[in-house]
Amino acid sequence: MAATLDTRVTRYEAPSKVTGGTRYAADYMPSGMLHGALATSSIAVGEVVSIDTSTAESEPGVIAVFTHENIADYKQPKGFYQGGPGTASFWPMTSTSIRYAGQPVAYVVAENAAAARRGAALVSVKYETGDASIHMDPESSFLLESEGMNVTKGDVAAGIAQATAVVDETWTTPFQHHNPMEMFAATAEWNGERLTVWTPSQSVRTARGGVAMAYDIAETAVEIISPFVGGAFGSKAGLPPYTMLTIAVAKSLGAPVRLIVTRPQMFTVASFRPESVQKIRLAATADGQFTAFEHIEIGQTSQFDPVVNPGTHMTRAMYASPNIYTEQRLARSDTNTPGFMRAPNEMQSFFALESAVDELAWKLDMDPVELRRKNDTQRHPVADVPFSSRSLMECYDAAAASFGWSERESKVGSMVDGDWLVGYGCATATYPTAVAPSEARVRVQSSGHALVELAAHDVGTGAYTIMGQIAAQRLGLPVGAVDVAMGNSNLPVAPLAGGSVTSASSGSAVHLACMNAGADIARTLTQMDGNPLSGLDHSTVTLVDGVLQGPGNESISLLEALKLTPRGEVTAEGRYAHPDLSSQALRATYKGGYGVAGPVTDKHAMFAFGAEFAEVHIHRWTKEIRVPRLHGAFAAGNILNRKTAHSQLMGGMVWGIGSALHEHTLVDTERARFLNSNIAEYLIPVNADIRDIKVEMLDEHDDYVNPLGVKGIGELGIVGTAAAIANGIYHATGQRLRSLPFTIADMV
Amino acid sequence: MKNFSYIQPTTLDDALRATDTSEQFDILAGGTTMVDLLKLDAIAPERIIDISRIASLEGYTFDDENLRFGALARMSDVGDDKTLAQICPALTESLWKAASSQLRHAARLGGNILQRTRCPYFRETHYACNKRNPGSGCAALDGGDTGLHAILGGSEQCVAMYPGDWAQALIAFDAVVTVVSSKGTRLIEFADLHVPPGDTPDIETTLKEGEIVTQISVPVSAAMKGSHYLKARERESYAFASASAAVGVLEDGGVITEARIALGGVASIPWRAREAEEYLEGVRLDEASAFETGRIAFSEANPLEGSAYKIKLGASVVAGALLTAQKRARQEG
Repeated sequence: MAATLDTRVTRYEAPSKVTGGTRYAADYMPSGMLHGALATSSIAVGEVVSIDTSTAESEPGVIAVFTHENIADYKQPKGFYQGGPGTASFWPMTSTSIRYAGQPVAYVVAENAAAARRGAALVSVKYETGDASIHMDPESSFLLESEGMNVTKGDVAAGIAQATAVVDETWTTPFQHHNPMEMFAATAEWNGERLTVWTPSQSVRTARGGVAMAYDIAETAVEIISPFVGGAFGSKAGLPPYTMLTIAVAKSLGAPVRLIVTRPQMFTVASFRPESVQKIRLAATADGQFTAFEHIEIGQTSQFDPVVNPGTHMTRAMYASPNIYTEQRLARSDTNTPGFMRAPNEMQSFFALESAVDELAWKLDMDPVELRRKNDTQRHPVADVPFSSRSLMECYDAAAASFGWSERESKVGSMVDGDWLVGYGCATATYPTAVAPSEARVRVQSSGHALVELAAHDVGTGAYTIMGQIAAQRLGLPVGAVDVAMGNSNLPVAPLAGGSVTSASSGSAVHLACMNAGADIARTLTQMDGNPLSGLDHSTVTLVDGVLQGPGNESISLLEALKLTPRGEVTAEGRYAHPDLSSQALRATYKGGYGVAGPVTDKHAMFAFGAEFAEVHIHRWTKEIRVPRLHGAFAAGNILNRKTAHSQLMGGMVWGIGSALHEHTLVDTERARFLNSNIAEYLIPVNADIRDIKVEMLDEHDDYVNPLGVKGIGELGIVGTAAAIANGIYHATGQRLRSLPFTIADMV
Repeated sequence: MKNFSYIQPTTLDDALRATDTSEQFDILAGGTTMVDLLKLDAIAPERIIDISRIASLEGYTFDDENLRFGALARMSDVGDDKTLAQICPALTESLWKAASSQLRHAARLGGNILQRTRCPYFRETHYACNKRNPGSGCAALDGGDTGLHAILGGSEQCVAMYPGDWAQALIAFDAVVTVVSSKGTRLIEFADLHVPPGDTPDIETTLKEGEIVTQISVPVSAAMKGSHYLKARERESYAFASASAAVGVLEDGGVITEARIALGGVASIPWRAREAEEYLEGVRLDEASAFETGRIAFSEANPLEGSAYKIKLGASVVAGALLTAQKRARQEG
């Protein structure tokens, strides 16, 4: 077990980011670069009958207009659900087929971006329009069947028969879009058979592998560069059509091309959080013991891919129950393929589960915290393995104390503050701890500088700083003396920045690389004369915080040791894979895929936990819903950097307020289009909505999860927030809201 | 965005000369709405006359009879003005609760009152829209989403909502707009500035070709002290009204002697609820009569799918606004 860093290091690039100095992918402009723009379909389903590009082509500055009829060198990797990195298995501009509104139909290249966009607006398309449905129809859902997808434990009907109180309700969640601040973009430059792509990416290795496979060229001939990512949240995870189109037109024109996708187009050319329906039956005896839990989740998917965000896999891990039944279903709609948006399995499913637990508590006349305590468990209720660590009730106790839960009047509508009705609500947060294989390389010089290299990604979380901190601690150097290079596919293998795996996985690889560097120097020094380690068995020497220590009192600092070596520097690699990782998953990662160990292995279940408490106000006259206080306590193993971790958890909670009260992609059902595809009308919380947010991080020790004892926290904070707010609204008003988001109209 | 010619005069005379053109032109001040619409291709003028550098149209002054606002005064400056907040809280509150602080810094009062609708079908050119493209139809009414649309003042051709806030306070307090053209100066009652969509939703105001708004003035009245702007919105800032009310009351002998009520977030144009005002005058204002006033304000409403909740919400907002206004009217000094 590594020592806790327990530091509050400010991310090194912060001043550069807030002063505009940081260069993102689209800021790199190869010489001779041309500008692309997309024209997208005005219908959702149908056929392109004809495209007139003549007006666009005669627009000053326009160089070329590509459509499905004339685009050359356009290759497509397999889609995600075919085992490839493509964001969908349907590729626009390969035929006349239109499958969703806002689908790219033409790619205009011009001397400047304004001309390209003018040209795109002038592309005239004739369609034959078919019927389209943008919403999924839950009635037409189908069951997903694969190993472990659905579970039956005991007999839910029998459990319900024994119960005193039963909750049997349905919750729904809407379309949401990631809306990262940084726009989607791709710049492609070919040099003969070599290709460089600058694009904001959550997985440069996945992108490299997919592009190389699509063009049948060596992976080493492809370089994907994504130095910083201005928010991704799942939207920049795969290889999207806009990138493959840009690569194609750059090849056709023999010139580098950059495409920056517009904000409205960002709603249609990539993925989104799909709609869902959550049906839960939860039953308990009079003293609150759960006797049955059933959860059927229907998720939305496209006509051409089966997107699975298995929320039931998380809810069935939460509380002890002798009878459990869970089922994952899908229903199709005429949309692009949905994807993964911050806590893609957990946000929707925990809104439902944690609302259901609260409803049951009211039926039983129990404190909802005590109902959870009654059903807390240290063993996974289905897999029947112990949690590697689980501090859920410690989180409840800490957050309840900080929040002042004991001051809650336990009657509906009993609390008032001026013109505001007041309610308190709470809910459980969780996020699975999965760990991916990762490599890292470290070079340490006797001058006291080190370079850490790996193909991991900083999606705005502070990952550069975390990697630097880990190396600095192991090597005994100041944080500022460690440079970190990431976001380039030529660097050592690292996983996709998704599922909150980066710190745990790549951090462990950095740790191992540093330990290996120490071992390498130890080997050299033990074989040399005239130093404290001379003649020792090198395997007995270990690196502790920058000092090589022998079995006796022998010791020498790593830097002093380096000065004695012939090269004066050392380079070492660390290759991390969790011992429970299957070789199949390991190989998948090296092929550019996503292979992880956990959250449930043969030996343990690995989850991070938290508890969130919300004070909700509803205005008597305006019916506005506000959340003046939100307190969360979280236990997520070893916290590497308390400052960036605090930001991650707080950001998740803010997003949770957004999910509860604001976020909702509106649709025009008649034409199967999104309506509020801009960030003025797609509401997210503004500063004035966020008042008192408190984040507490509890100490938790877990040797099993990984060498650093780290559980991912990037997505934990958003989980449970919507339920805590729903439960607070009930306490304030007696109204049960089961559809996100909760709006003024719901309160009238 | 289509190419256009761009002129930035520094005097009103130069601006008026620039309007003497065969090019189809638009006047730009703060640009907070227009730049959006240009980028969306929802509007495509051949010429833009940017009047934002005409210093003589900035500033604002108050005297015992009139509050005068230059058309280029910034929403933020006027919204923050402490003297005005004393004289007529509804005028500052309705500015304060509009948009975000960044937008209020950029936006000018003359442009603000002419703010275009946020109707998504107007803003996105893929849709049929009688306002953007006369005669093309109305996607909102043709099976579209009407949750964001007007329940007062709409027509079978258009139910687009007027989105502004300040206009409600102006119409409640009988503001007058000064407009200048190469033909001279004229005054327009604020209540006559905007026209409901009817059969010609593309015609939004009574402004004539080449007229530039130069000043907005509001006559000082006794009900200003007891005034309030209450806005219901989905988030605490930077959100359009789900429903709002600008109200002013004057009380004498326990009954209301003067009532001013205007409604936002519910109508196709700035909306004065005169019937509700008439009901309240001579009545003792309490919670029951406040709600009844609100109910009357929406008695003519034409609910649409998704926006019917605004009838009850709007009545509640009117009631809440009146009770706050009454408290202010009763305060000493």
